[in-house]
Amino acid sequence: MRNTACSIPTYASDTSGVCSALYELGGMTVVHDSSGCNSTYSTFDEPRWYDRESLIFITGLTEAEAIFGREDRLLDDVAAAAAEFSPAFIALCGSPMPFILGTDYAALAGELEERCGLPVLGLPTTGIRTYLSGADLAWTALLQRFCDDVRPASAVTINILGATPLDLGLNGSVDSMKAFFEGRGITVNACLAMGGSLAELRRLGAAAANLVVASSGIGPALYLKRRFGTPFVAGQPIGLFAEDVLAALVRAAESGTDMSPCSAHHGGEGDILVAGEAVAAASLACALERETGRACRVFCPLGRGGEALAAGDVLLDAEDEERAAELFAGAGAIVADPLYRPVCPKGTPFLPLGHVAFSGRCHLGTIPDMTARPLAEAFDLSFGKSHGGKA
Amino acid sequence: MLKLAVYGKGGIGKSTVTANLSAALADMGLSVIQIGCDPKADSTVNLLGGTPVCSVMDYMRRHDREPERLDEICRSGYGGVRCIETGGPTPGLGCAGRGIITTFQLLRDLALFETYRPDVVLYDVLGDVVCGGFAAPIREGYAEGVLIVTSGEKMALYAARNIANAVRNFEDRSYARVWGVVMNRRNVPGEEDKVRAFADEAGLPVLADLPRSDAINRCEDAGKTVIEGAPDCAAAACFRRFAQALWKSRGEDGGDAVFGGKSAVKDAPVDSSCQTCRGAGESER
Repeated sequence: MRNTACSIPTYASDTSGVCSALYELGGMTVVHDSSGCNSTYSTFDEPRWYDRESLIFITGLTEAEAIFGREDRLLDDVAAAAAEFSPAFIALCGSPMPFILGTDYAALAGELEERCGLPVLGLPTTGIRTYLSGADLAWTALLQRFCDDVRPASAVTINILGATPLDLGLNGSVDSMKAFFEGRGITVNACLAMGGSLAELRRLGAAAANLVVASSGIGPALYLKRRFGTPFVAGQPIGLFAEDVLAALVRAAESGTDMSPCSAHHGGEGDILVAGEAVAAASLACALERETGRACRVFCPLGRGGEALAAGDVLLDAEDEERAAELFAGAGAIVADPLYRPVCPKGTPFLPLGHVAFSGRCHLGTIPDMTARPLAEAFDLSFGKSHGGKA
Repeated sequence: MLKLAVYGKGGIGKSTVTANLSAALADMGLSVIQIGCDPKADSTVNLLGGTPVCSVMDYMRRHDREPERLDEICRSGYGGVRCIETGGPTPGLGCAGRGIITTFQLLRDLALFETYRPDVVLYDVLGDVVCGGFAAPIREGYAEGVLIVTSGEKMALYAARNIANAVRNFEDRSYARVWGVVMNRRNVPGEEDKVRAFADEAGLPVLADLPRSDAINRCEDAGKTVIEGAPDCAAAACFRRFAQALWKSRGEDGGDAVFGGKSAVKDAPVDSSCQTCRGAGESER
């Protein structure tokens, strides 16, 4: 493996993951990076940017400030912005240049907290790791600061963890999940974090089980398990597989045991290869098997979410275009973001399913709300057409 | 756990002081880790019989990947002292400070402290605090106290002053504090007066007064500390007394427990004990 991506894009970085995770929670997110880079984190990777305000700022790091270590300017600017906008908290995270400089975010956060009188999270993102690690880092830090000591509810009450547009798109799927569960007598206590709030986050400990819909939610789920003993279930309630997720949640709530229903797909040597984030891809694999009868295998190049995978699935620690091409070459059909097409063999049936963390807003329109409805309503499951990628 | 960083001008004897302290602490039955933070990677060589450990940067250069196990970059030396060197980039290229940060992150990922559960960790840091990388050992979670090694020479005192000021700049952060000055004698005229004048001005105690000793040179030629190679010499006695006092100082109050912190300049116990050692070591100077 050479860990290269020449014909395909790279996934969104941990910095984008922080911005996306905290977007709706009422804080102020500050990225230590050069002026203009807000476009990367907040427009290319953030489909909510045009419809909903959020306090996301760039420090405007200059060459001179990098050389002279002028962190005092960063502190002054952040303190001034905090005084103007009165956020509920501040999250300070980074990008590649401050990473190379060795910026001490925890120390800066401590100084800012003293100065602003607000909770400040120092999040040492590098701009090199994946968005999943950034979202996980931000949420886990936030939970440590804000989660109240509450008693778990006696009824079947759940939280949804790991929900960002980077994985789910912007198609109403979180609302559909809530409606599906509520319709089956399960109360949704809180969602981390699309459609959620800081008030919801405070009461995360009150749920009887946590539903992890993307592997960015596994860190928060483990934290909640340690602190409250709450079990978690990995899976997205999509297609006919939604019933399996529902049943797993009920069993987890009753038994206190973690469950991963999405790892029940075929795995190794599967006919259809589903590429993407582990929990989403594995859930889709389960739903596809249910409706097509064809065995599915998952390929996740994001290094996280092994809990969601089946034996024989492929989890890589880094993107590797050559390995991806090898896997695609052996598949009978492919389900992946359209920007994977250049490394897919010509003639192999290809079902395009956009992934914001991979193609930004380019293919938002190919991400349907698949919650608890047959996939056949959204896709041509005959995989009737080949895609015409290069040989 | 006692975690200290040793700073001072290049060539002033930081590695000599650190390695001898490590050896003396190990002789007290303590589990010790010494981490050299210098591209030359020669901090621990005299704990290892003159054969250096493969530095972290050398390992990454040779294997084109990060080490995956601690034993790939850590060797046990005299008294079981675990020796690690950050190393650095090819001279004239790259960024040595970044190398230190990378090494520290790596050691954290490899669970160095959790694995070895040391009683004492000593960081031997190159020269001045010249950039963020060289301040890494004093960040929260690493060293709690800084020892500044100096002689009475003008440039050594100049560097010592810069180091004290640099650490003071981080007072608003939960970084290490300067515990005091280690006088490593070069026998320049008026040496003690000069070092004490600096210490008074900086509001720091003189923690130790180490004699110039040919035994140190002879032992280092043989790849040893005086604790190992000349345990009966006066310098070895000084290092042992200093090590005992440092170990006594551990605890919640850090250096304050023995040395009285920044405000207490005089009457440091180690200082008085070393006066005795110094008297006994005249023949070695």
